[in-house]
Amino acid sequence: MDLIINIVLGGLLIGGIYSLISMGLSLQYGVAKVLNIAHGEFLMVGAFITYWLQQNGVDPLLTIVVGGPLLFLVGFILYRTVFTSIRLKAPNTGVYESNSLLAAFGLYFIVQNIAVLIWGTTPQRFSYLASSVTILGEDFNENRLVATAFAVAIGAAFYLFLERTRIGKAIRAAAQDPLTAGLMGVDINFVLALCFGFGAAMAGLAGVLISICYPITTTMGLGYTVIAIVVVTLGGLGSIPGSFIGGFILGIIGTGVTYWEPGLAVASYYVIFIILLLVRPKGIMGK
Amino acid sequence: MHILEGEGVTKYFGGLAAVSDVSFYVDEGEVVGLIGPNGAGKTTLFNLISAALEPKTGEIRFKGKKINGLKPYQICRLGIARTFQTVKIFGNLPVIENVRIGSLFGPFKGLSTADATREANELLEFMGLSDVAYAPARDLTLAHQKRLEVARALATKPTLLMLDELMAGLNQTELIEAMDLVKKIREKGTTIVMIEHVMKAIMNICDRIIVLHHGKKIADGTPQEVANSKTVIEVYLGEASDAGN
Ligand SMILES: Nc1ncnc2c1ncn2[C@@H]1O[C@H](COP(=O)(O)OP(=O)(O)OP(=O)(O)O)[C@@H](O)[C@H]1O
Ligand SMILES: [Mg+2]
Repeated sequence: MDLIINIVLGGLLIGGIYSLISMGLSLQYGVAKVLNIAHGEFLMVGAFITYWLQQNGVDPLLTIVVGGPLLFLVGFILYRTVFTSIRLKAPNTGVYESNSLLAAFGLYFIVQNIAVLIWGTTPQRFSYLASSVTILGEDFNENRLVATAFAVAIGAAFYLFLERTRIGKAIRAAAQDPLTAGLMGVDINFVLALCFGFGAAMAGLAGVLISICYPITTTMGLGYTVIAIVVVTLGGLGSIPGSFIGGFILGIIGTGVTYWEPGLAVASYYVIFIILLLVRPKGIMGK
Repeated sequence: MHILEGEGVTKYFGGLAAVSDVSFYVDEGEVVGLIGPNGAGKTTLFNLISAALEPKTGEIRFKGKKINGLKPYQICRLGIARTFQTVKIFGNLPVIENVRIGSLFGPFKGLSTADATREANELLEFMGLSDVAYAPARDLTLAHQKRLEVARALATKPTLLMLDELMAGLNQTELIEAMDLVKKIREKGTTIVMIEHVMKAIMNICDRIIVLHHGKKIADGTPQEVANSKTVIEVYLGEASDAGN
C-alpha cells in the first residue's frame, strides 16, 4: 500500500513537468505539424540557462520570467524563417511534415553540440528548496512540490489562454484546418509561428522546473522528447487537455516501472506508444 | 465598375490545364453564375481567386488592384469570402465559434470579442441557426453546415461572396430556402459569384452566367443568351449523350 501511494505521488510530482513539455509538443506537432525532435533540446537549454543564472546568484524561479519569453522568441523566429519556408515550398502537407521532421533532426544536433561545447557533458546540479516534506507518510523534496505547482499553474494558464483569447481561437481554428482559417482572415504563418514559439517556451519552462529538482546534462533532451511524443499520442494529437492529463498518467506509469526495473522505463513508454497506435490512435481525448 | 477581373488566368495540375487562359469580370452588385460540366475548372477558379492556389500566368484584380500573390488572409480582409463545395467547417468547434472566427479575423479591422459575439448571434439568427448555436458544428445536417459556411463567410464582411455549389445535395424545401437566402444576401448589396449545377437556381437568380468547359471559358452572357448558345447546348448535350452511352 505504501509503495502504491509512493508511486502515485511520485508520478504526480513528475507528471506536471511531463504535461508541460507535452502541451508544448502538442502545439508544435498537433497544430504547426512539426514533429519537433529537438523539443527536448529547448528543455535542456532552459535548464542550463537556469543553472548558469543560479551560479551567478539569480533565484531559479525568477528564470521563468526570462527563460519563457526568450525561448518563445527563439522558437517564433525559427518557425518564421526555417519552417515557414519549408511549408511554403512543399507541394503538400505530407512533404512539409517530412521535411520539417528532417530539419528538426538537424536542429537537435546543432543545439546539442553547441550546448556540449559550452557546458560539457558532466551532470550539473544545484541545491534549491531541498528540505523534505511529508505527504501521506511519504517524504518528498520541497522543490518537487514547487515545480509541480508551477507546472500545473502554467499549464492551466495556457489552457485558459487558448480558450478565452482571440489568438487562442485563431490557434484552435488553425489546428483544425489551416487553409480554411486563412480564408477566414487568420494569418496562418504568424499563428503557426506563435504555436512553435509557445511550444519552445513550454519546453524551456519545463527545463527550468527540472533543473531545480534533478541533476541536468546537456544530453538529457532526447529522453524528454520521447516522453512528449508518447504523451501527445496518449492524450490525443492536438488536444491540450489530453496532453495535460496524459503527462500525469505517464508520470505514474514511469515511476511504477522505475521502482520495478529502472532500465525498462523508456522501453515501457514505447510499449505504451505502440499499443496506443494499434488500439486507440486517437488517444484518450482525441476527436 | 468591375469589382473583380481576371485576365488570361491559367492553372496547370501536372500536364492538365484545369483553368486555361480565362478572362472574366464581375460588376459590383451582380449575381454571376459559374457553370460547366464536372471537372470544368470552376472550383479551381475559386481557389485561384481566394489564393488557395496561385495561377501559373495571368492576373486577377479586385477593385482594380492585383490580388494574385497575396496570402489568403489578405484576400479575406480585402473583402472576398467563399464557401466550399465539400464543406470545410471547424467541426470540433461550436457553431457560434465558427462564425465568431470569421468576425474576429475576417474584416479589415477585426471586431472586439463582445461585438463579434453579438454579430455572430445576429448572423445565426439571419441564417436560422440560432437553435443549434452551441452544438459542435460537425453534428449539423449537411443543409445546416452549408448555411453555417455562408454565415461564417458573411461574418468576414465580404463585398464579394463566392458560393461553391451551395444547393447541391439539398432537398426541394431546402433548395427554395437557399435560393431565398442568396436573394436576401444580394439585397444587402453583396456581389455574388455562384457555382451551381442546379439550373433552376442559376436561371432564376443570376444576372449573368459564365460557362467553363475543359478549363476554357466558352460562353458569357445573360441566362437567355447562355441557354440559347449553340456551343453551350452542344457541351451539355454531349455530356448527356456520354452519360447515356
Ligand atoms: N489539387 C488538385 N490536384 C490535381 N488536380 C486537380 C486538383 N484540383 C482539381 N484538379 C483537377 O482539375 C480539374 C478541374 O477541377 P475543378 O475541381 O476545378 O472542377 P469543377 O469544375 O469544380 O468540377 P465539379 O463540378 O465536379 O466540382 C479536374 O480535372 C480535377 O481533377
Ligand atoms: Mg467544383
